[in-house]
Formats: sequence, structure tokens, C-alpha cells
Amino acid sequence: MDSQHLNPSSLKSRFTARFLRALIKINAQKPISSSSPRDIFQRYQRIKVAADKSMAYSVRSRRTWSRATLWKLRSRSRRRLASSGRRSSIKTRTTTTTTTTTTSTNHRAAIVEKTSHEKENKEDHVGLAVQAEELRELVPGGESMDLCNLLDETAHYIKCLTTQVQVMKKIANLYSLE
Amino acid sequence: MEKDQVFMGEGLNRAAAVQAGWNSCSFGMEMETDELNCVGSCFLNPKWHNSMDQSDPFESALSSMVCSPAASNAGSTNFPASGDNTMMTDLIGKLGNICNTGDISPQSLIKPPNTNNNCSSNTSCYTSPLDSPTKLNLSIMGGNQILKHPSLVPVSADPVFAERAARFSCFNGLNAQLGVTEAEFVQLTRVSTNQSIMVTGSQVHVPDSNKNTLQDGNSCSDKRNSRLSRCSSPENGDSKDESSISEQIPGVGSSIKAQNDANARKRKSMPRGKAKETPSPAAADAKIAEENDESTAKRSKQQNDSAKAENKENPKPPEPPKDYIHVRARRGQATDSHSLAERVRREKISERMKFLQDLVPGCNKVTGKALMLDEIINYVQSLQRQVEFLSMKLATVNPRMNANTEALLSKDMFRSRGSLPHSHYPMDSSALAFGLRYQPQQGLPMNNGISNDTQIQFSMNPANAALHKTQGLQLPPVDGISDANPQIGSFWDDDLQSIVQMGFGQNQPQSCQ
Repeated sequence: MDSQHLNPSSLKSRFTARFLRALIKINAQKPISSSSPRDIFQRYQRIKVAADKSMAYSVRSRRTWSRATLWKLRSRSRRRLASSGRRSSIKTRTTTTTTTTTTSTNHRAAIVEKTSHEKENKEDHVGLAVQAEELRELVPGGESMDLCNLLDETAHYIKCLTTQVQVMKKIANLYSLE
Repeated sequence: MEKDQVFMGEGLNRAAAVQAGWNSCSFGMEMETDELNCVGSCFLNPKWHNSMDQSDPFESALSSMVCSPAASNAGSTNFPASGDNTMMTDLIGKLGNICNTGDISPQSLIKPPNTNNNCSSNTSCYTSPLDSPTKLNLSIMGGNQILKHPSLVPVSADPVFAERAARFSCFNGLNAQLGVTEAEFVQLTRVSTNQSIMVTGSQVHVPDSNKNTLQDGNSCSDKRNSRLSRCSSPENGDSKDESSISEQIPGVGSSIKAQNDANARKRKSMPRGKAKETPSPAAADAKIAEENDESTAKRSKQQNDSAKAENKENPKPPEPPKDYIHVRARRGQATDSHSLAERVRREKISERMKFLQDLVPGCNKVTGKALMLDEIINYVQSLQRQVEFLSMKLATVNPRMNANTEALLSKDMFRSRGSLPHSHYPMDSSALAFGLRYQPQQGLPMNNGISNDTQIQFSMNPANAALHKTQGLQLPPVDGISDANPQIGSFWDDDLQSIVQMGFGQNQPQSCQ
């Protein structure tokens, strides 16, 4: 059998390491024997978040979609903390407000830019506005990009998604083999 | 007149760049920047046609392009090598297509220059860079890069190119040629003012300094000198030649855009194309130039020249141009700045769509952007749903996170962070093997105990792994593992397979060392 020496720092290995670690942590938190649907659903959500997070972390901030994903996750966790009424909620609220203000300004600027770009693009791609909108919704962070960059991000996002799916499939297979 | 000179200057710049590339890539760049700077300064003065200041930069520019062909032929008036001429024409043609962002694949066009034995050595150095860049690179790379590899995109030789090459060859620094070139200039450019001729003539005189530098390309330019006879023919004041020459000369620059017979209208496209060379920083200038160009060709050429001068000045300041996407208006296409910019955008988008087509399976039959986008959207949605489904599966299907997964994880951590030194590995793997091997025999209760032990072992491993981050993974060969577990078969980790098989009761002593 050939021994494949994968690049130790490839996207796949980075993602796998992170995801497995998160997985172990999640599974360690609750014994899996209890299989109430609620618990399962919770675990599913956590695993999903872990998967997205580990993928976004593996990409660092090099891509808009990874940055958007990380920001979304962080803001969501902060909101959760804030809603739970912990002491840190004050801190989180301030941070969230600051982040929200920054993001809102970013979004506003982005939207302005987007509309201007859209105006230009509309001349070229009259019929593609609808699909472009759909794509923007799908790709995280895609709301504020012109079509050109959006396609770039989409390509990278697709690549990362396929890696994610591959690795998760293998892990699921390994687990289910037992 | 000025326009003609401007065109010639542009063409000369290109030829200079070509020749610069001829000599050596690095050296050529030096020359090229020098020439460009000279030419840029030449166009600094909108009224350059009235002043002789430009003569110096223009001289150097001319000399650069002149010298490279002339250097090899220094002293010889006979240039029978036809291959060189083809070479020259090919190179000029290559320049013409450098800015063709979409249509011509470099590989296919590399052939013609290679056929020239004389200049094969010269071209060889370009084929390698030519092979790698794709259309994407061409469009994305800045103009400076394009200029640096002027021969990157060769174009099938065109007889018109040959003519133009001959014209340029006429600019060689040989005195005998000078006379011819001067006369030719008179007719070529229909310069009402003699200054242009003198400028060009004086430019040709400069080559001495550059001759040494451009020795290599001269051999290839020998061919051009053979055209001197033809160059001299216009000297006779043949109006037909004059018109043809004047048409072709500007076409040299515009030929870069398209291989078409230059006509008067082509001159108009030249400034437009040049204007587009600096879309980002000189957008205003480009627009100015565009506006000028939009007027008829008969419009004040001075304005065109000044606009061109500004454009040339901007793209070729003392520092080499950076990140300029040189776009040329193609024949038969609208050439105002808006449409050019749109075309650039469209081409970028189509490039990316093609790339996405490769990523998304089953997209080959789909044609059209809308359908492609639909496919892409469907694919992204399906991938996201798959991730959700798999995470649900992992949430439910994973009853036991035991030593198996821990072993997997440790292995993954080994792999992702680099391997432990080989000495450590046997210990770890043996620990793994022992821990995992016992597992199936002793049933569940023991699993926890053993998992604890293995956990302890594993906890050491990450520390070790962290210590040796950058080492390549030196896993022992896993040849002993049979494909007993087909589901794992294609996993990217053979080690994982080994671990899993170990864990699943297949006591194989392989990966222990």
C-alpha cells in the first residue's frame, strides 16, 4: 500500500485536527448513551458549529467567507452568553455593540459599494442578478462583494466545503464501523 | 503626424520591450524600464512635437529597439536570414497579443517562434515562462509583467507584422539605414514638421550605448535589415507605399491589439488601447484620452497625443508600472473607457466561471452564465446540506468516543503537526497497538480502563508532537495492512486505516515500527 505523506499543514489536515478535537470535546461533555432527541439535536448543532468553525479557522482570515463565518459564530456565541445573563454579558454586549457598529458600518459601506457595483454589473449581466443574489446568500460574507470577487470566494468556499464533507464522511464511517 | 510618431513610439516601446526580452529577461527589464522611462518623459510634454526635448528619450527608446536588432548586424548591411525576420515579426506579434486576455492560449502560439533556428536560443528562454502562464495570469498580471515578458504571448506571424518589423528594422543604428529610415520616416509619418524626422533620425544615432546591451537580439533582427531595400523604396516618394507604410506603422502598435491591416482608424484605437493600459490610476487620464479618441480620427491629434502622453506618462513613471491590466480595444468593438472596463470585468468573470466549472462536477455541458450559476448554487446548497447531514450523523452514530477515536485523533495530530521522531513512534504505536488490541477482547468495561491508559499515553504524544512540528511525517510503512476494511480504503491516512484496523480487532503487528 502506498503511504501518502500528506502535507502536514494542508487545509485538510488542519481541518481534521481541529474538528476531531472539537468532536472529542463535544462527546466528552455528554455521554452519548443518553439519546434523547433534544440532546442529539444539541450535539448536532454543536458539531455543525464546530465543523464550520474549524474550517473557518483552518482558512484563517484569508478569505472573506471565513472571516464572515468566524464573526457570525463569535457574535452568536456572544449573544448567547449575553442572553444567558452572565456577568460577562456586559462585556459581551459592549463588544457586540462595537462589533455590530463596525459591521453595520461595514455593511452599509459594503451595501453602497455593492449597489454601485451592481449598477455597473447590471449592464453586463442583466439576467444574473437573481442568481448572484442567491449565491450571496449562500456564501457567508457574500453580501458585500461584486460578482467577480463573489465568484472567487465561491470557488474557495466550494473547495473547503468539499474537504469538509470528505473528512466528515470518513469520520462518520469510522465511527459507524464499530 | 504626431499621432504617427506617437504610434511609432509606442511600437518602438513594444519592440524595445521585445528586444529587451530578447537579450535576457532581467537585462531586458532594465532596458525596458529605461526605454519606458525615456519614452514616458518623452510624452511628458504635450507639445513635444514642437520641442526637441523628446528627442533624447525618444532616441534612447528608438535606439533600444533599434540596437537590439542592429547590434548583431553591426556593420553588416546584408541580412539575408529570413528566419530572423520571421522571428522579429513573431516577437512583435507576440507583443501584440500580450494584452489579448482571452483569446489566445500561449502554448499554441509558442510554436512559431520556436521554428526559427537562428533565434531558437533567444526564444527558448521565453517558452518556459510562456508555458506556465495561462490566460488568467495574463489578464491578472500587471502590465509590467507583460512588458517584462514581451514574448509571452506569441502570435502567429502576420505578413503585416513582417512589414512592420521591417519598418522597425529600418530604424537600426546603421548610418546607411539611417538615411533610409529618415526618409522613410518622412513618408511613414507624413510628418509635416521635420522635427519628428529629425527626432527619429537622431534617435537612431544613439544606439551606441545600447548596442552592447542588445547584441543578442540583433541576430534575430537581421531579417529586418533585409527589408531595408523595401524601406528605401518609399524613399522614392511612392505615394502608395507612403500610405501603406503610414498605415502600417501605426498598425504596429495597434497590431498588438489585433492582427489586422492597419488603417487610419487603427490609429484611433491605439490611443484608446494605451489609455486602457492604466485603468486604475489613470482612469481619469484614460477617460480623457477616451474622450479624445471618441472624436473622429481627424480630431485634434494634439489632444490625442497629449492624452496619450499623459497616459504614457502615468503607466511609465520612473518606477515600473504596477498592477496595470493592459487592455486593448479589439477590432470591431466599442472602445470607450466604460466598455473597455466592462469588458475587462466580463473577462475576469468568465475566467472565474470557467474555474468554477472545473470545481463543480457535471458542469461541462452547461453553457451560459445563468445556468452555470444555477448549477453552482445547487452544488453549494448540496454541500452545505451534506455537512449538516454528516454532523447529524456524527451526533447520533457516535456512541463511543473511545480509544479508537482517540487514537485517530492522536494520529491526526501527529500528521497535522508533523511527525514525532522515529524513535518515539514505536513507543507510541506500540502503546496504541496494545491499548487497542486489548479493547475488543475485553469488552466494554475494559475499554474505559484501557482508554484511560491510552489517554495517558496520548497525552504525552501531543506534547511530543508539538515539539517536532515541522518534521515530515515518518510513519512506518503500513504495507502490512490489508484492505480488509474497504470503507476506510480511500481515506487519506493510511495510518488511520492501520489504527482503525488495529482497533477493530485485526491484530496486525505492522505499524509498530
